[in-house]
Amino acid sequence: MKLPRVNLRVPGLGRAGPKAASYVILLAFAALYVGPILMLVGTSLKQLPEFFKDPTGLPPNPSFDNFTKAWSLANFPGYALNSVIYTVVATSLFVVMAVLVAFPIARRYVRGSGALLALYVVALFLPPALIPQFQLILSLGLYNSRPGYILLFLVNPIGLIILVNYIKSVPVELDQSAAVDGCGYLRFIFSVLLPLIRPAVATVTVLHAIGIWNELILATIYLTNDDLYPITRGLIVFEGVYGSDWPALAAAVLMLMLPMLVLFVFLQRYIISGLTSGAVKG
Amino acid sequence: MIAGRHPFGSSAGRSLPALLLVPGVFCYLLIGVGPSLATAFYAFTDATGIRGIPIRWIGFDNFDEFLFQGRASRDNLAALRRTLTFCLVVTTVQFGLGLLLAVLLNQRLAGRTIFRTLFFLPVILGVVVQGLMWKLFLLPRGGPMATLFGWIGQESEFLGGPQAFMWVIVVQVWANVGITMVIFLAGMQAIPEELYHAAQVDGAGRWQQFRNVTWPQLTPAVNTNFLLNVIGSLQAWQLFLVLIGYRPGTQVLGYLVYAEGFGRTSGAVTTAFRQGYAAAASIVLFLLVLVLGMTAHVAVGRRERRYLA
Repeated sequence: MKLPRVNLRVPGLGRAGPKAASYVILLAFAALYVGPILMLVGTSLKQLPEFFKDPTGLPPNPSFDNFTKAWSLANFPGYALNSVIYTVVATSLFVVMAVLVAFPIARRYVRGSGALLALYVVALFLPPALIPQFQLILSLGLYNSRPGYILLFLVNPIGLIILVNYIKSVPVELDQSAAVDGCGYLRFIFSVLLPLIRPAVATVTVLHAIGIWNELILATIYLTNDDLYPITRGLIVFEGVYGSDWPALAAAVLMLMLPMLVLFVFLQRYIISGLTSGAVKG
Repeated sequence: MIAGRHPFGSSAGRSLPALLLVPGVFCYLLIGVGPSLATAFYAFTDATGIRGIPIRWIGFDNFDEFLFQGRASRDNLAALRRTLTFCLVVTTVQFGLGLLLAVLLNQRLAGRTIFRTLFFLPVILGVVVQGLMWKLFLLPRGGPMATLFGWIGQESEFLGGPQAFMWVIVVQVWANVGITMVIFLAGMQAIPEELYHAAQVDGAGRWQQFRNVTWPQLTPAVNTNFLLNVIGSLQAWQLFLVLIGYRPGTQVLGYLVYAEGFGRTSGAVTTAFRQGYAAAASIVLFLLVLVLGMTAHVAVGRRERRYLA
């Protein structure tokens, strides 16, 4: 039997009803996101005995001791410096090389541009490079070294594809008129093109940097020397040694998060536009 | 590579674009696509992780051992089934929740930017922060979740107990639903307002508007999310490492590849690891991704033809 369709909307409730329900659901989810962060912050402000007595409650005497403790206990400054070096060096090298690859491909200034672009797209579907990459780094003698570790992050096919697509939206006439005015190839790229494709460059830079900053597996595979660890690896080792000292560990986790959090607050729209580009047009 | 046509500079500068492109492409071939393809070669060898030991060709031995020999192969097949379960549950839940959150946040609500930022936040934090945060939140004695469980008279060991696998799924979805959500939101914002006005003029309610306007118009985002979720969840394993470590009966294929190739603890790579065997395992995983990815692609293509014909 087919029931007649009933309009469930009550006049007057039509607006407030669904909105109230939306808020209830959203707030319930928000609790799952705020909760772990609050727990982390709360724990970092407690002394160890206080934490053992009551892990979940509010810190009775909040103090920043754990931050200074974590900072000195685990060679944190050294790890932080390494993370900064890897992230800054590899990201800058990658972005410069990527722009120099993306521009001629987008403009078809080199033969085989189409095939070259296809080579980057195909990478998204290939098996992980983990094992042969290790054999390569080993045979190059770059195992457990800063240059070897940085080398691993000079590749990002998605970043390249984002750049190519964005450069295609810059009119070609610009190249011609700049060339007529006597502008050279490199000068054009760095002083004319770069300002125009800044949103795409920002997106790629931020996504790439976040990936390096958060990397754990490659740091575990390729770096065995404590002096070379980035913070992620340092934290996992720290967890193994001081595993039950959650207050100090929580402070260390917060210090690892902080730079990404700041970056995120200021560059959120670039990150999201990068991740959603292509998804809408298909 | 031969230079094409470009308007810049004299005839001497003809090949400049090609020259400047070489470093980037060289790195990509050396570190990216080259090693990816070489995985298929190493899968047929007895390579170890030690420098200087000759590598021998051993045919299909690795695959035979991985899939058919002894107890280890039964564990491997169990890991394969677990990977499929993980993929199925994560894809379904993450897709559904991502869509729900996007629908809710696509309304004019006060504070919707805050909600969006909050749900997206874990995506940028990485597995170490995500994992340690939840380890603390799921502390079995006196932790926040244990306290909540206590209120309803329940008890659980969480990541230390038999439900560990389920909790990794929870954290996996928690960490990545933000990506699914923003892709859906971007898709929804690209839908022309007029379509909704027209539907309202025709007397369509909220559900009918969603069913007949939003859902079909969202096709590209639906496709992207579906494929990303299937492929991403098949390859995900790092949260297992941070949350529970290598524990028998919990690993997925990706973790197996890492454990065989580089050791079961997060310690140093010192002993002979079976990298040929690990490469074979990663080829098995790759084939799984290929088959399921293709299936998803075909399913999605059929849906696209139905809606956009």
